[in-house]
Amino acid sequence: MPPTKKRSRRRTLRQILGGVRRRVRRAAGRTRSVWRRSLQLQVVTSTLVISVIVVVVLGTFLFGQINKSVVDSSQRTAASEAFADRLQIADALTPETDDPAKQADGAEQGAGNLLDEVMDTITGSGENGSEKRYEVLILNLTTPGQSRASGSVVPADVPLTLRLALQRNIRVYKWEAATGSIQTIRFGGESQPRLTYVVGGIVHLPTNGRTYEVYHFFPFDEEEELLSNVRLAIVVVGLGLVLLLAAIAYLVARQVVTPVRLARQAAERLASGRLDERLKVRGEDDLARLANSFNEMAANLALKIHQLEELSQVQRQFVSDVSHELRTPLTTVRMAADLLYDAREDFEPMAARSAELMQAQLERFESMLADLLEISRYDAGAATLDLEPVDIRDVVLRAIGDSEALAERHGTRFELRLPNEPCVAEIDNRRVERILRNLLFNAIEHGEGRDIVVTVGADRDAVAVAVRDHGIGLKPGEDTMVFDRFWRADPSRARTIGGTGLGLAISREDAGLHGGWLQAWGQPGEGSQFRLTLPRNAGVDLKGSPLSLVPPEIEMRRTWRTSMTPVLLPASGDGAEHDED
Amino acid sequence: MTRTSRLGTALAIVAAMVLGGSGCTVIPPNGPYTVNNDEGAGDPLSKPFQRMIAIPPQPGWGAEDTIRGLQAAMAAYADDPSVLAGYLTPEARAKWTAAGPVTVIQDQYEVVVPPPRESEASTEVTLKAHVAAVINEDDSYKPTGGSWERPFELVKLPEGYRVSSLPAGLLLTESDVARAYRPTNLYYVNRSTQDRLVVDRVRLRLDTMETFAQTVLERLLEPPTEALRGAVTSSFPAGTKIESIRSGEDRVIINLSGPLDTLDLSTEETLRGQIRNSLNKNEIAKGRVIEILVDGESYTVDRPDSVDQWLDDDVRDSAYYVDKGAVHYLTKDGPGGAVAGAAGEQREGYSHFAVSAGPNPLIAARTSTGISVAGLAPEGVWQEVIQGDDLTPPTWNRDGSLWTYDGKNGALLKYDPVRGRVDPVQVPEELDRLEINQFRIARDGVRVAVTTGDETVQIGALTGEGAGTKLGNLQLLTTTETGNEIKDIAWRDDERLLVLVQGTAGQTLNEINVGDGETTGVPLKDRLQSVAAFQDQVLADVTAKGVTKLMALSQDQQTWTPKIDANGGAPLFPLG
Repeated sequence: MPPTKKRSRRRTLRQILGGVRRRVRRAAGRTRSVWRRSLQLQVVTSTLVISVIVVVVLGTFLFGQINKSVVDSSQRTAASEAFADRLQIADALTPETDDPAKQADGAEQGAGNLLDEVMDTITGSGENGSEKRYEVLILNLTTPGQSRASGSVVPADVPLTLRLALQRNIRVYKWEAATGSIQTIRFGGESQPRLTYVVGGIVHLPTNGRTYEVYHFFPFDEEEELLSNVRLAIVVVGLGLVLLLAAIAYLVARQVVTPVRLARQAAERLASGRLDERLKVRGEDDLARLANSFNEMAANLALKIHQLEELSQVQRQFVSDVSHELRTPLTTVRMAADLLYDAREDFEPMAARSAELMQAQLERFESMLADLLEISRYDAGAATLDLEPVDIRDVVLRAIGDSEALAERHGTRFELRLPNEPCVAEIDNRRVERILRNLLFNAIEHGEGRDIVVTVGADRDAVAVAVRDHGIGLKPGEDTMVFDRFWRADPSRARTIGGTGLGLAISREDAGLHGGWLQAWGQPGEGSQFRLTLPRNAGVDLKGSPLSLVPPEIEMRRTWRTSMTPVLLPASGDGAEHDED
Repeated sequence: MTRTSRLGTALAIVAAMVLGGSGCTVIPPNGPYTVNNDEGAGDPLSKPFQRMIAIPPQPGWGAEDTIRGLQAAMAAYADDPSVLAGYLTPEARAKWTAAGPVTVIQDQYEVVVPPPRESEASTEVTLKAHVAAVINEDDSYKPTGGSWERPFELVKLPEGYRVSSLPAGLLLTESDVARAYRPTNLYYVNRSTQDRLVVDRVRLRLDTMETFAQTVLERLLEPPTEALRGAVTSSFPAGTKIESIRSGEDRVIINLSGPLDTLDLSTEETLRGQIRNSLNKNEIAKGRVIEILVDGESYTVDRPDSVDQWLDDDVRDSAYYVDKGAVHYLTKDGPGGAVAGAAGEQREGYSHFAVSAGPNPLIAARTSTGISVAGLAPEGVWQEVIQGDDLTPPTWNRDGSLWTYDGKNGALLKYDPVRGRVDPVQVPEELDRLEINQFRIARDGVRVAVTTGDETVQIGALTGEGAGTKLGNLQLLTTTETGNEIKDIAWRDDERLLVLVQGTAGQTLNEINVGDGETTGVPLKDRLQSVAAFQDQVLADVTAKGVTKLMALSQDQQTWTPKIDANGGAPLFPLG
């Protein structure tokens, strides 16, 4: 799809490149993750790499040896054939010394005939000659008519370096030296060049001082073909060997890795709570013993967990029972205390003050008892939701209205950041209001009189409320502990607004009941922020939150430092990841 | 240990033993197996040959070296024309041409260089040699003799001598010809009978760029040499070309192109015969299937066959001899008895017998009054068919006609036994002036040997066909010195003629190739009366001390052995 404008094409190109880069990076990431996770892949890959190196080294060595021996033996044969021919030529051309008359008579013309005769013999072009596998070229540049060639060889076929080497030998009277050269030569009448071993030697006749350059052209294409077949065979065998080794490594690794993988899967299932998970035990080898140990461990673990669960159940039941049992006497005590409180003005100041104190502590005791009962309901799994579509802004406003009196007492003001559109979600109105109230009270208590920012956000899937105070903040690690029961940031500090120490714990249970998250962020001196995120539709898993857990100004100020610490509810891991998006 | 693992262990041990055992030997002993020996079957389409490599003139060479170098460059001219040009001055290069007959001189030639004179820029050098032969432009090789002399003008230039004037045509030595040319037999079809191939001998130059088979077939597409012009035809239509010749495992594939019609098979047999013989008789593609394609389409396939109808003379084993005018059969073991009929009876006055070919041969003989013919049957009687008292001995043609030359009337006569008629045949005018002693038609029905006078043998051919048949293309084959007499001639086969010469110093028997004049002497011990030959059989009669013996030449062509010790006579083979 060619773009019409240059500019748009450039942009498209950049986009394409970006896409490609992203895809490559993603693929690399996936590969890396697959590599890290698969022991089998690691074993097979290592075997493959090592065997490739071994096969390449061995193959190269082997081929080198074969190559050397084939070429060497062919060269030796060729050189000895060429030497024999040169001897024959020298012998044939040397005039008969015992017949001086004949020598003088026919020396000039006879040499040509002698040369023809010896060429007939060595090239097989005589009457009964058989074809030789090589061609011969005899060159004599000083005497006319004393140069011959067989086949279609011409002087231009002789490699120049060889020619020069021979002429150098002639200049220094090294008659015996023979020179070889392997070249690709295209002979006349042939369409394809052929690999040829050219042997050059000198025939020098001391009697008449003539010097002949004798070149033998041995075709090496058969050797070349043989060697290329050998190379092909080595490559094929090497490839086969590598694949075989990879397959062996795969099978062996599989034998080891499969039980390990089964053990891992069993451990994962065990970790996810399926305590009856066990491994099959086959044979008596190390893996079988591993499986046995695993099974024993799982059985022991299940037993321990069961015991602990029972203990916990007993404790919870005890708390619940105690709370229930305490209510009846507390009601009586409360009624008596109410009477005393109502009549406190008639008492002495000392007694009146005691009545007030008793009244206040009784109220706190009552609410603590209520919280304990509530939390034991959660523990017993008896908590239920009363869902209805509600605009979260209304809930926030109501909670703020409830907290205003307290805020005024602390000199704290609320700053509201509400969206204009309704933020409707399926929630239990009462529980969410309680959560928000808890968060606001908490913020007022620790806000040291500074402004509290309440932000509401919504997106397609979720609604969120963030409560930000500018108090002393949280130390590292405290952002998870704040949700623990009866946890106190500074044990020496007294509770000013009479919290029970269970508020945030109950709030977290409430949020969890909605399938939502309640998370905290805080830094010493920077204050803290609590964020409640709820799905718009009950039962839908949360993928992210419309609001950031870290306040935007902190995020902007310290963008280089990742101080965000997600506070975990059941699906907290995912939530934290999505916050970054 | 489970059963599977036990089996696996056993297999592993066996494999280790096999691999270990074979790993110790480089070539493990094995077999027997079928050995593929198809590869390289048959002969290659080319034969090894060597060439002259011409070298350019060297600055240090004198006039003689330059001329010798020039001659060597001529020998290599067809392979590399550029070197020869280097020997010539630009003017000579422009004038000189290689066209024309090739002069072949004997190897030992002499270059006569005049004493150098400072004043003259050019030197005239003479090349003196004995001429050996001429290779004509039709590739025929004609041996000649005599001395040969040719001047060359040389100019001394700073870079050495250059030839400024050079006679046109190539000058080769006999060695050059032996090196670069191959005597080659080409086969054409007898024009009148169309049933027999006729051999034509040429000298073909080997070409490095193509196979010898291609050289031969390309020449076969061209007309025959002068000696056979008009006497033979070719089954290749004009314009036929050789596209390629490939050599397979057991076959040779020839791809032709041109006006050959793949559906018209009228010339297919003769074409096969021409190609098969032209290749096989030159030792190419022997024993191999020849597949002929036309434009890539299959045309015909010729399988090797020991019996070749195209060279069959319909003569079989029959041989005869004449004892006191009676014709006898000659068998392998000796005399085979007189033939049936009148010819087998002793009779005075009948001489110079000749036998025709075919299943019912006829015998012809010359008498004082003419030529008589008799059948070789019990009822056969002599019947005079041609009258004349100066007739040459009769000779039979393969078409069944009987030929003789009437010296008195200067007419060549042809008797047709079927029609019982004698017709004159046109002869070249120069024959009228000569005395014709012998007139012999070869077994191919085309070649004719004529002895004119006592000393000369000429070779001609029967050209034309039917009523237009005439004797033509007469060429000198051999002469003997004055005083010698050619006593008898006999066709040995299509290309070799035996010539018996009676000289003052004794007899000589030469076998002459009528194609290129190549002469081989046959050693003689006794004085021969007449000679007859058919392929590898040569018979002659010897009269000594009143006893006539029949002698046979041994296979090695060196010795004569008596076939019939007494009562022998002039031997006879059908035709020839």
